[in-house]
This record gives sequence, structure tokens and C-alpha cells, in this order.
Amino acid sequence: MTHRDRLLLWPRHAALVAISIIMLAPFYWVLKTAITSENIYAYPPHLLPERPQLFNFVDVWYLIPFPRYLFNSVVVSLIAVAGNLVLNAIAGYALTLPFIGRRSVIVLLLSCTLIPFQATIIPAYLITAHLDLLNSYLGLALPLLSTIVCIFIFKASFDAVPRSLIDAARIDGLGDVRILLRVMLPLSTPAIATNVVLSFIWSWNNFLWPLIITRSQDMQTLPLGLARFLSYMEDTTGALYAFVVMVLAPGLLVFLMAQSAFMRGLTTGATKG
Amino acid sequence: MTTTRRTRQAAVVACFLAPSLLIFIVYRILPLVWNVVLSFEAWSPLRPPVWVGWDNYSEMLNDDDVFWQALWNTVIFLGSQPVAIALALGIALLVNSDLKGASVYRTIVFLSYPLMTVAVAIIWHWMFNERGGLINYVLRQLGIIHQPIAFLDSFAWALPSTIVANTWQVLGFFMIVLLSGLQNIPPHLYEAARVDGAPARARFFRITLPMLRPALFLCVVIGILNSFSAFDLIYVMTNGGPGHATELLITYIYKQAFGATRFDYAAALTVAQFAMLLVLTWIAHRAVGGNAGAIE
Repeated sequence: MTHRDRLLLWPRHAALVAISIIMLAPFYWVLKTAITSENIYAYPPHLLPERPQLFNFVDVWYLIPFPRYLFNSVVVSLIAVAGNLVLNAIAGYALTLPFIGRRSVIVLLLSCTLIPFQATIIPAYLITAHLDLLNSYLGLALPLLSTIVCIFIFKASFDAVPRSLIDAARIDGLGDVRILLRVMLPLSTPAIATNVVLSFIWSWNNFLWPLIITRSQDMQTLPLGLARFLSYMEDTTGALYAFVVMVLAPGLLVFLMAQSAFMRGLTTGATKG
Repeated sequence: MTTTRRTRQAAVVACFLAPSLLIFIVYRILPLVWNVVLSFEAWSPLRPPVWVGWDNYSEMLNDDDVFWQALWNTVIFLGSQPVAIALALGIALLVNSDLKGASVYRTIVFLSYPLMTVAVAIIWHWMFNERGGLINYVLRQLGIIHQPIAFLDSFAWALPSTIVANTWQVLGFFMIVLLSGLQNIPPHLYEAARVDGAPARARFFRITLPMLRPALFLCVVIGILNSFSAFDLIYVMTNGGPGHATELLITYIYKQAFGATRFDYAAALTVAQFAMLLVLTWIAHRAVGGNAGAIE
């Protein structure tokens, strides 16, 4: 690297630091508000937390049924993740086999990605009502049980498994289920990780669908709890922001741990359709 | 391959594909068709539906000012996506290279993307707050404004404010997509251009941009879909208010369907929005040269 090149790096670092500060400021502001004990409406606000404490986090447990929301979110997400793993893996495996109409199935799946879930809410609600699944865990998870992007992530990963390995397994008399379980999946751990992370985050963050089909507070998930907190309490208490921190922290931890799988999954999923 | 094995394999394929296909048929394709049918009917929960032809559409186009306002707001929201993509491209170019700490910057910019949108809405609801919000504070400290602005209660500022929040959330995603596009450009193209003495500007417009077309197309499609998924953000930040200043088609659809129980009219609105989505995607597809979204 020449001296001139090195000099050129400083403006880039400066620009990136400025961008990082802008991107991180909202995180900081919410965290600061969550641990502050001052009147959050005082003007001018303090840039550093005044007398930091954790009362707001305790308040959350009294103000709303936090454990209930958490439990519901966890149950729905577990159903969604399990469903995605099993259904996407078998569907992705089927797409690697030769069969008549394979191309039409792929085109059908890809055109389905163009139908945003939000454009289906009214009939989806009516269908779920007919199935008698309104206000149930299964009803909450059902539309999320299989994801087209994740099917293609599995398919791409299975396609990369050497043919000779599969042929050898067939000669040894292994059936399709065993080939999938013993050969394909052990060689596809990145695809499995991507599936788990993506389906977990999609289900965990889902708001519109639970908003439509849950009737009782007992069935509400965390995002609904957050929205409900804001509309009942307004934004007058630091507890709201403590709640935000509590909701976001697990997701951010999962993301930071599985960052590379997550980003890779998004881009492969995206470029593979 | 023997016939029995072939039939067995066909059975396996059918069994393996059936559950996923069933879910997509029940929750994607059937709703699409049902929406269209519903939009030509007068629907009520207790009586059988009645065919009313184009009535819902004519009400939407002729008698519904809120529809036009929501449509206009959706168009503005869509118009902000290319701006976000351009910003993301700038950042992607900055962090694409062996810059020290590039992965840290990447993670920071991406950090807001996997967040729950409801939480993003609450965060920015607070950022824009008149008294406790950081934005009013900074603007007043810098002397740009002298009176606090209630951004989310203002007819002029509410929509731009929600757009800022949306941009903050999706920027990292656009950046990652563009970065993977940049990394797919063969380096020898740049070397050849440098040998030929092409200036940086020419390298950007002649090599980088054309080679990025598939990634840009993907960003545009995601940006278009964003105008649907912005529901969570708008619902929590402003609920379409003040008045209908931040009403998007999707929030209006929700209000008509689940607030006013007008499933038939909301279905007509959905069809209109879906048609818009398809037309825009097609235009984007053509604009990048036709084959950018090609499969395999």
C-alpha cells in the first residue's frame, strides 16, 4: 500500500464512523431512557443517564403479563422453526430429484414469493376461521410453517452434495428418507443454521398476523404486547423502553452469534430466488 | 431405472412436496383468487355474498378521498426506497475492500435490520418526541430550529419521519445485498480498466453499476415489498395519522377490513395494491435489462 493510498483511508474511516454513530444513536437513546430514573419528559434531556437504575425493568413485570407474552412468542416460534426445518428440508430434497413437472413446481414456488403475505390477510383470516384455528398457537404458526426462500437454500445446499456419494448410498440400499437424514443433512449444517435463524426471526417479529387472529390477551405475542403497552400507557414511562430492550436483546444476541450464517443466508436466499 | 423404482420415487417426491405446497396454496394462491372474487361481491358475515360487479372499484376510484391519499402516500414511500438504495450503495462501496474494521462497520449498519419492526416503531416514536426525543434536542442545540417540532403530529413531517425510521431499518439489508453483488464482480475487469487508464468515475459507471444490476434489481423488488410490510411501522408509530397523513394502502386495507368489517371493499383495495406491485416489479425488471431476475 502506498503512502497516498493510506492517506485516502482517513476520509473513509471518518465517513464510516459518522454513519455508525447515526445508526447506533437510536439504540443508545432507548437504552439510556430505559435505565434512567429522571422524568423522561424533562427538557433538555441528558445525554448520559441520570442516576442509572434498573427499576424500569422490574416495573415491566408488574405493568404487563410479560411472561405470558414471552411464553406465547416462544411456543409459536418453536412450532414455526420445527415446521420450517422439516418441511423445507423434505421439499428442498424433492426438488433435487428428477421428476415430471419439476420445472413447473419451481416456477410456481418462485411466483409465490411475489405474493406478499400482507396481500392475503383477508382470505387468510377467513380460511383460518373456517379451520377453526383463530386464537390458537397452530393458527398463529400455520402460514409460517414453510418458507420458499428457505426451501431454495436447502435445495442449493443439497445440490452441492457430490452425486457419487448419493449413488453409493443408493447402492447400499438406503431409501430417500435415510439419504436425507444420513447423507444430505449432515453435510448441510450452514443451511440448517440459516433456516433456524431466519424462521425464528420471521416468526418472532411477526406482528400483522397475530394482530388479526388473536382474540384474547392470553394468546398475544411479544410484538402485540409492545404495541398494546404503547397504546395503553402512552410513552410516559421508562418501563416502555425497558420492555423494548428486553424484547430486542434476545433477538440481537441470536443475530450477533449467528451473524455470518444469517447474512450469508439472506444473500444466498436472495440471489437463488 | 426400473418402473417400480420410478413410481416409488414419484411417490416420495409427491409426499415430500405436498405439505409445503399445501401451505402455499392455502395461504398464498387461494387468498389471491379469493381476494379477486371478494372484491366483486357485497360481503357480510351473516348473509351469503351478493355479486355487485364493479361497485367496490367504482367507490374506490370515484368516492373515496382516503384511498387517493393512501395511494399517494404509498407512492412517496416507494419513492424513498431508491434513495435508501443509493445510500446503501455508498456505504457498500465504503466498506467493500480490505479496509481495517470493515466487518465491524458492516455489522453496525446491519444491526437494525433483524429487529422487530414494532420495536423500531417505538424507538423512533421516542426519537421524534417533542421533549424527550434526541432529534429535537440535537436540532435545537445546533440552532437549526428554535421551537420543538412534534414531528409525528405534524401533517407535513409525519410521513417523512416514518420514512426515516424505515430507511434506518432496511439500509443494512440493501447494503449486504449490494456488497455481495460487488464481491461477485471479477477483479480483472478493474485491472483491465486501470491498465487502460480509465478514471474512477468511468470505472464506476462502466463496470460497477452494470455489473450490479441483479443486486440492484433485488433491492428494488425488496423495496417495493417494503411498502406492504411497512404496516407494522405505521400502525405503531402513527396509526395512519394525523388525519390520514401517513395512511398507506396496507394500513387502510387493515382498517377497512378489521376496523369497519368491510372485507369486500378491503379486498378491492388489496387487488389494486397487488396490481400496482406487479406492474412496478415488471417495470424494474425491464429497467435492469430484462434478465436480472432469471432463475438458476
